[in-house]
Amino acid sequence: MDKGLRRALRDLTAQDAESRRKAMDRLARDTFEVFIRYLYRYLGNEADCEDVLEDVYAGIWENPDHLRNVTNWRQFLRTVYLYYMRGPLREIYRRRNRYLTLSEEDLNRLVAPELGVLGLMSQNELREQIQRMLKKLTVPERKCVQLWMKGASYRAIANELKTTVGAAKMRQFRTLLKLKAMFDDSYRQD
Amino acid sequence: MADKNREVHELLADYAAALRDGCIPTFLKSLTRKEAQILAGSQEFWDAADIVRALNGVAFAEKAVTPSVTLFLSRIEAEIASRAKAKGSLRGKRTNGARSATKMENRIDKPV
Repeated sequence: MDKGLRRALRDLTAQDAESRRKAMDRLARDTFEVFIRYLYRYLGNEADCEDVLEDVYAGIWENPDHLRNVTNWRQFLRTVYLYYMRGPLREIYRRRNRYLTLSEEDLNRLVAPELGVLGLMSQNELREQIQRMLKKLTVPERKCVQLWMKGASYRAIANELKTTVGAAKMRQFRTLLKLKAMFDDSYRQD
Repeated sequence: MADKNREVHELLADYAAALRDGCIPTFLKSLTRKEAQILAGSQEFWDAADIVRALNGVAFAEKAVTPSVTLFLSRIEAEIASRAKAKGSLRGKRTNGARSATKMENRIDKPV
């Protein structure tokens, strides 16, 4: 973790407002891009990511104590997610949709899940891991996931795999479960 | 998402598409009570959803268009100021004695 960022985290709890403001400025500049990309995993939409992130920084400003003793990046990400990010993430769609068939617990699980191995990985780590896992899949499985990652529709994926849309969706589902099992195995081995 | 009797793999496909397109609220609204029950009871859905989020992060997060940090900082400042103002006004109201003692107690008991 960068020395400047660590100092900024410490100064967030300083007594004088000017030091706190400078620390906040540094924190936001250093983490903005990372947090936006991180939130994008959960929301898939820039405007929502910005709304949540605004609340995250305001939350940090109001109550920065949880970050005072953070020493490394992973711990920092975990603390930010648990104390400052999960709450606004849970709120964002609940505010908009008051009458959902999904229970509150399931909505939280969908939009702001518990932090697992995948949630703690940086963008680069995640990219490397996924590339490695994709190589272990069969050709049709890999094709299915890669086409989805390129933005192809299920119709286009089905055409490419010479199958029906339903079968393409089922293949994607099975492939994702296979990937999940691979991730869990690799985590257990590590 | 017109289908109303989707199976778990179809629900996952629609969730994945909604996440990729940035329209999760549409997906949430499209769920029927029965489908919501299917989701709740299917560990496979939650496992696959975990991977979908990771794939979404890798494939599309880099392409997300973000505003300039300086502009965003002013948004944060405004949010902080508005929260401080809201807190201040709440404190003002409390001191004028308009709240009953029971309400104040309830407020203190409320978990954070």
